[in-house]
Amino acid sequence: MKIYTGTGDRGKTSLFSGERVSKADRRVEAYGAVDELNSVLGALAAALEPDQPGLVSEVRRIQADLFRVGARLAFAGDETDGPALPELQEEHAAWLERAMDRMEEELPPLKGFILPGGHASAAWAHIARTVCRRAERHVVSLRDGQAPGTASEAFRMLIVYLNRLSDYLFLLARKCNRLHGQDDIPWGG
Amino acid sequence: MDRTTFPGEVDSSSARAAESPAYRSRILRRRWLCAGTLEIELDRPSGFTFVPGQRIRLFRDHEAREYSLASAPGDPFLLLCVRVVQGGRFTPWLASCPEGSEIAFSGPCGYFVYRRSSWPACFVATGTGIAPFVSMARSGLWGFTLLHGVRFAEEVYYREVFESRSALYVPCLSSAAAAPGLPRGAFPGRVTEYAEKVLSGGPFDFYLCGNRDMVRDMTRIVDERFEGSRVFVEVFF
Repeated sequence: MKIYTGTGDRGKTSLFSGERVSKADRRVEAYGAVDELNSVLGALAAALEPDQPGLVSEVRRIQADLFRVGARLAFAGDETDGPALPELQEEHAAWLERAMDRMEEELPPLKGFILPGGHASAAWAHIARTVCRRAERHVVSLRDGQAPGTASEAFRMLIVYLNRLSDYLFLLARKCNRLHGQDDIPWGG
Repeated sequence: MDRTTFPGEVDSSSARAAESPAYRSRILRRRWLCAGTLEIELDRPSGFTFVPGQRIRLFRDHEAREYSLASAPGDPFLLLCVRVVQGGRFTPWLASCPEGSEIAFSGPCGYFVYRRSSWPACFVATGTGIAPFVSMARSGLWGFTLLHGVRFAEEVYYREVFESRSALYVPCLSSAAAAPGLPRGAFPGRVTEYAEKVLSGGPFDFYLCGNRDMVRDMTRIVDERFEGSRVFVEVFF
């Protein structure tokens, strides 16, 4: 099956809600950052396989959640007509919190800043964390320009989730290093 | 043109059933809409709901194909509009199996559904891409513009569904120049030619369902001639 239609050849794309917008539109920037984050998570999962199936499963679940994030970002305004989007719920952020609680119990206390890096899987987790923060900044910018309503409430949930996910990825990076026998790299400054 | 209105209630929760377990159904009836294109009536399993414009996925052996539903959510059966591909691995069986044959499906899926709007809807279909619009019209939608692209006059099926409900219904016959006589209200040319040379007004909510060449060309025309319009797409590959 060919995937190309050519409808975006002139620099425009259709949002999920039908609006034709520039590919430089803030929403496209936002869901593009989420797509990039998802791809980096794919690289992270590849670096973890095959010896960490539990962590890979967690990462796969997050990748699926990010499709929900992208779908909401591609939907302009408060329109709720038509089939409901699979929205993120409080439970999705709560699940990340429980995963972080488990990791924190296993990791030594942090005593200062650490440098991103170490094992390849940890390095990917750090890259994912920074892309996640960029996606979060895009969503905050969209939320700031949104009148109160369905979309603004959905953006609030996305911001909570992305904020939590960044923290999760920081801990995951530390856990990846520990699993591979590497210590955190302290900042000597 | 009046804005398109849709008096029926839409059960948006049914979209969430896209990953529901497969249903078992039976082929109840078939009729040829024209040479090579079948309308297939399936038994509707109890509990199955959908929104006009959504698809189901049929399974047989190790093959699966997705089809938009042409029936309305209130109909006691499911209707599909199927172009039979000679030598294909799926549609020849649909065309030749005994009535009463069992078939499994999953769904509904997809978001190609009518959205209430202050702008008029312009539906553009090629061939069996007409199916989701049949479902919408049978569900009570009215006041829309419909351009249906086919090659020959005998392929103008479902005229009776649309003539009474549309504000403007234009069958577009790409081979009309070579054929004698035009059906009532038909345009001699492709849907894209009609949209580029004849269609006026807007902005519209465009709903495009059909082959990717039509979708690509219509999207360009929308960008150039109907600025501010919205575009919803369902591509048949």
